Amino acid sequence: MIQRQRNKKRRWSDYICNGMTYGASAISAIVLAAILFFVFIKGASSIRWDLFVQDYWPSNYSITIETDKNKVGEFEVPTSLDEDAYFSKKWGIVLKDEKDGEESVVMTQIVPDSPFHYLLDQSVKNNISSFQWKEGLMLEKLDYVDKQGNTSMAGSLFMQNAEDIVKVLDEDVTQITSMYVKTKGGGIRGSIISTFYLLGISLLFALPIGVSAALYLHEYARKNKVCSWLRSMIEMLTGVPSILYGLMGVSVLFPVTQMFGATTTNLLLGGLTLAILLLPTIIRSTEEALRVIPQSLRDGSLSLGATSSQTIFKVVLPCAIPGILTGVLLSIGRVIGESAALIYTIGTFINDSPGLLTQGTSLAVHIWSMMNMEQPNFEMAAAISLIILAFVCLLNISMKILSKYWYRKWN
Amino acid sequence: MKRKKKIIADKLFRTLFLSATLLSASVIVLIILFIVMKGIQPFLPQYEHGQVSLFSFLFGTTWRQDQHIYGVGYIVINTLLTAFGALLLSFPLSVLTALFIAKIAPPKLAGFMRSVVELLAGIPSVVYGVFASSVITSMVMQIAQSFGVVTAGGNSFLTVILLLAIMIFPTMTSLSITAIQAVDKDVELGSLALGATKTQTHFKVVLSSAKSGIFAGAILGLGRAFGEASAVAMVAGNKTFGPTWNLFDITRTLTSTMLTGLKETTGVDYDIRFSVGMVLIIVIFLSNGILHMVKRRIGKIK
Amino acid sequence: MEPIFQVEHLSLYYGEKQVLKDLNIEIKKNKITALIGPSGCGKSTFLRCLNRMNDLIENCRIEGNIYFEQDDLYHAKRDVVELRTKVGMVFQKPNPFPMSIFDNIAYGPRCQGIKKKQVLMEIVEQALKKAALWDEVKDRLQDSAMGLSGGQQQRLCIARAIAMEPEVILMDEPTSALDPIATAKIEELIEQLKKSYTIIIVTHSMQQASRVSDETAFFLLGEIVEFDATSNIFQHPKDKRTEDYITGRFG
Repeated sequence: MIQRQRNKKRRWSDYICNGMTYGASAISAIVLAAILFFVFIKGASSIRWDLFVQDYWPSNYSITIETDKNKVGEFEVPTSLDEDAYFSKKWGIVLKDEKDGEESVVMTQIVPDSPFHYLLDQSVKNNISSFQWKEGLMLEKLDYVDKQGNTSMAGSLFMQNAEDIVKVLDEDVTQITSMYVKTKGGGIRGSIISTFYLLGISLLFALPIGVSAALYLHEYARKNKVCSWLRSMIEMLTGVPSILYGLMGVSVLFPVTQMFGATTTNLLLGGLTLAILLLPTIIRSTEEALRVIPQSLRDGSLSLGATSSQTIFKVVLPCAIPGILTGVLLSIGRVIGESAALIYTIGTFINDSPGLLTQGTSLAVHIWSMMNMEQPNFEMAAAISLIILAFVCLLNISMKILSKYWYRKWN
Repeated sequence: MKRKKKIIADKLFRTLFLSATLLSASVIVLIILFIVMKGIQPFLPQYEHGQVSLFSFLFGTTWRQDQHIYGVGYIVINTLLTAFGALLLSFPLSVLTALFIAKIAPPKLAGFMRSVVELLAGIPSVVYGVFASSVITSMVMQIAQSFGVVTAGGNSFLTVILLLAIMIFPTMTSLSITAIQAVDKDVELGSLALGATKTQTHFKVVLSSAKSGIFAGAILGLGRAFGEASAVAMVAGNKTFGPTWNLFDITRTLTSTMLTGLKETTGVDYDIRFSVGMVLIIVIFLSNGILHMVKRRIGKIK
Repeated sequence: MEPIFQVEHLSLYYGEKQVLKDLNIEIKKNKITALIGPSGCGKSTFLRCLNRMNDLIENCRIEGNIYFEQDDLYHAKRDVVELRTKVGMVFQKPNPFPMSIFDNIAYGPRCQGIKKKQVLMEIVEQALKKAALWDEVKDRLQDSAMGLSGGQQQRLCIARAIAMEPEVILMDEPTSALDPIATAKIEELIEQLKKSYTIIIVTHSMQQASRVSDETAFFLLGEIVEFDATSNIFQHPKDKRTEDYITGRFG
């Protein structure tokens, strides 16, 4: 006779088992929270508008002021002047001390009519061009003619701070011979552009090929051995680590880009490699979309005398668009997050003016570069991570909305 | 006339679609073929930078590019150790979480946890790397300190295991969820009708019915652990000899070997990375083959 | 003789829809009761009320009373899990667990906390013998149950239910997925099991009902039209609708 177990004992073992699943889930939620928290705490403070529009590499300029404007004036103090900022009444410029790593003096503002509106770039001799003043330029050195008519020098290179320089400007300077200024750098503008390049190139190639392949596999192919072979070969790609795509890219596709005149690893190469990496993703999501379309739609079109390619382009494809879009969103996510394959194919050199056949870094590879410097720049890496994560969240949400819409359509 | 045009167009598109399929299918062949072709170069007698011995490459226990000693043997062992370590840690957690999401959690909590898993899956490798090289390393450093061990800034075997465990978790969980949801409702009812509680049913019948799918998830997770590169390279520490058995010692995996120092390298040191890639392919192939055999054996009871 | 189930004014609703309408029936101990009727008439739903499997369905509501051995089946303090060990069930489609034959039978007892291998072995052997499956599988107890034929799988499911030593076995069209030979074997088995268990069987086949059962209830549109000894139902039906059904005028 079976002894029926007592209620209590059974309940306890049930509680323990259930508790374990709660525990495991809690751990995963905590890990996610920890990652988000870390990235936010470390990175949020570095995210400013500058970051998106600035170059990564600081650049130096030797500038001067147009001759007819190069003289002392009288300017009103601007109404909104920060406490730690200094205003030169004679030149109409606001200077500020900045301690970001090393100390520097930054030009933060110029008033209307200030001589600083009329700057000339004389970095390249014999090719003087006009120079646009922008906020955040660092004033390193100032050559000027003083009241006695002697040339003299000032600037942060001589350990002078903003207050000192303003004093010199207002009391001593009659004419500015030249200035040595520096842009701040540290921005990710170039990497953003590169990322767009990669997105464009990879989708341009992967989308038509992937969708075509899915159409063939789902609409034309008979269920035979060859077809299932092709299918499983494509399936195998999902298990290939991305670093191997990188190796394949440099060995197979690099010669292709060489034909277009590439000499180093380049964005075109990266984009093509990513296109191949995206193929299985796009094929799979397109096929899933095709699977949901009722056969009756196709039969209806065929029975009206349409050929199978007409049926595909006029009936099947339009219905599959949300599914293909899901594939595109997934692909965008992969391109933005991909690093290993790209390190091999686009290099790790951060390029401020990337082009099709030059090196450059996507945002993810930018992070890699930040982490592989002598002193890893965690703040910067976390800031870019935060940007990427925000984007990933956005993609996730739009995918959910898309699939909800898609689901409603057929149910 | 128009009809004929239509038929030609039809054939044209069919051919176009077919060639796209053939192209996509040939990628896997291209990858293997070209990596092997380039990877084999350093072992051939006519290699321009001086031949490397294949035997000492495969079974070597030292990797010193400065001395032109390339031994990948211990790196393979390290790779296996880290990947299986991560699997060991992550597998139970992911199965329990999957069970929680698919069967146990109240609908709202299940939806929330689903998003957690999706987000974890969406976080790029480099971001995990940044997280690992700052948070996990300092955690490991503290653990090591409590054992009285000094680590190389927290970069260690253990760090890699923890990192990989987190990274393969979402893959395995979402596959397990799919497997659990596919379990026949009848089997569940059968168990309940025998007087098993819901929990007993979930743990005994549902999990064993879904085991083949869950196992497939584990295989995929292991594959990810083998191939994960950028994050691992940030925390592995790149030991020059091995294998590494000590959890707090630095280690070196196949992928970290392929990635580190790529910026300033040419010659043998560059080419040998393809040989390492070739070894990685072999490791993935062999482990997949063996595990699929094990899976079939387990599946037999099914 | 004492009835084992006493059903009084039982009504069941799925949301707004009433599926069972004011059922009154007494089911006798150690008899085979057949529930017949066209599909969708509520006989399977009624069967599932008897071991409270309907509890698992959302927005399913029950009115009226069912007494199992004089106790209220739907009493708030009733331990449903324990009830199901006393009222076993066999489903339409054989649903063995993906485990070995041994583990399948031992599953229920193990859930009750029996761990000793010897005790389990004893239970498994007895159950398989009672289900007339022992001779066919005794050499391969550790093989997967999924490898058995459909008829064997169904007898395994019966053995699994028997292993719990229930009072009642509910059978929901147990032979509908099987071929005639396997069906004959199961029917033979049901006949033998009558000695020790009360069996309630839902069936689509009137021949089966007349062959195996002692009493028969005819369901139509959620109501019990007629309930009587099987011979009476099939030879002298009192109700016109019953007659129409058993003579095959509708199905």
